[in-house]
Amino acid sequence: QVSVLYFARSAELAGLRSETLSVPRQLTARQLWDEIVRVHPRLAVIRDQVVFAVQQEYVLLGDQLLVLQPGDEVAIIPPISGG
Amino acid sequence: MDESEDVPKDFIKLKSEKLSVDEVSELVISPSCGAVSLFIGTTRNNFEGKKVIHLEYEAYISMAETEIKKICRNVRQKWPSVKHIAVHHRLGVVPVTEASVIIAVSSPHRAESLEAVMYCINTLKASVPIWKKEIYEDEYSWKENKECFWASSEK
Repeated sequence: QVSVLYFARSAELAGLRSETLSVPRQLTARQLWDEIVRVHPRLAVIRDQVVFAVQQEYVLLGDQLLVLQPGDEVAIIPPISGG
Repeated sequence: MDESEDVPKDFIKLKSEKLSVDEVSELVISPSCGAVSLFIGTTRNNFEGKKVIHLEYEAYISMAETEIKKICRNVRQKWPSVKHIAVHHRLGVVPVTEASVIIAVSSPHRAESLEAVMYCINTLKASVPIWKKEIYEDEYSWKENKECFWASSEK
């Protein structure tokens, strides 16, 4: 069970800012995205623009294998615009 | 003045209240420094012909603070003479002409602090999880920094 955080456009599309999701302990970043889109299909439109932050480290939506612990924080990160 | 208290410090703050240039510059002033360099990012009133009413900022606060700390560490590696660094970023609604971000750096001589300030704002725009929504008269738009390394290059 991981904590998923949504920001900016992804929060608007998902309709919420955070939730707990049950996901496999090991999966690729791409697979994690698929799990999340299963719950929030409207997020599919931003697939090419977002990255993850897993335990506050950026992860591209690719084949990198993630090893998740219960309570880990996963954030959907749309293109940033600080400053 | 107690010289031993003048250890290099990073002052990082994300807040929804109005930012103060006086407050941020005073944080970095140091008896051993002859230079304080400053960057202020302010809200423009227009984008591509549209009138901007105000900006709204949100942040992944814990990670933004961590990423800004990384920027400060990198600054000190590249410019070891830099003394204090302050980065204040506003969250929530920022009206036109008000400051969204203020960065101040002090160093003994001016070259390092000037270069460090530029590095800070450029790197902040590329790596810190903060988002800006531009509110126009009848619509809004989530902005994307061109520095963002994963954003699509074509719009």
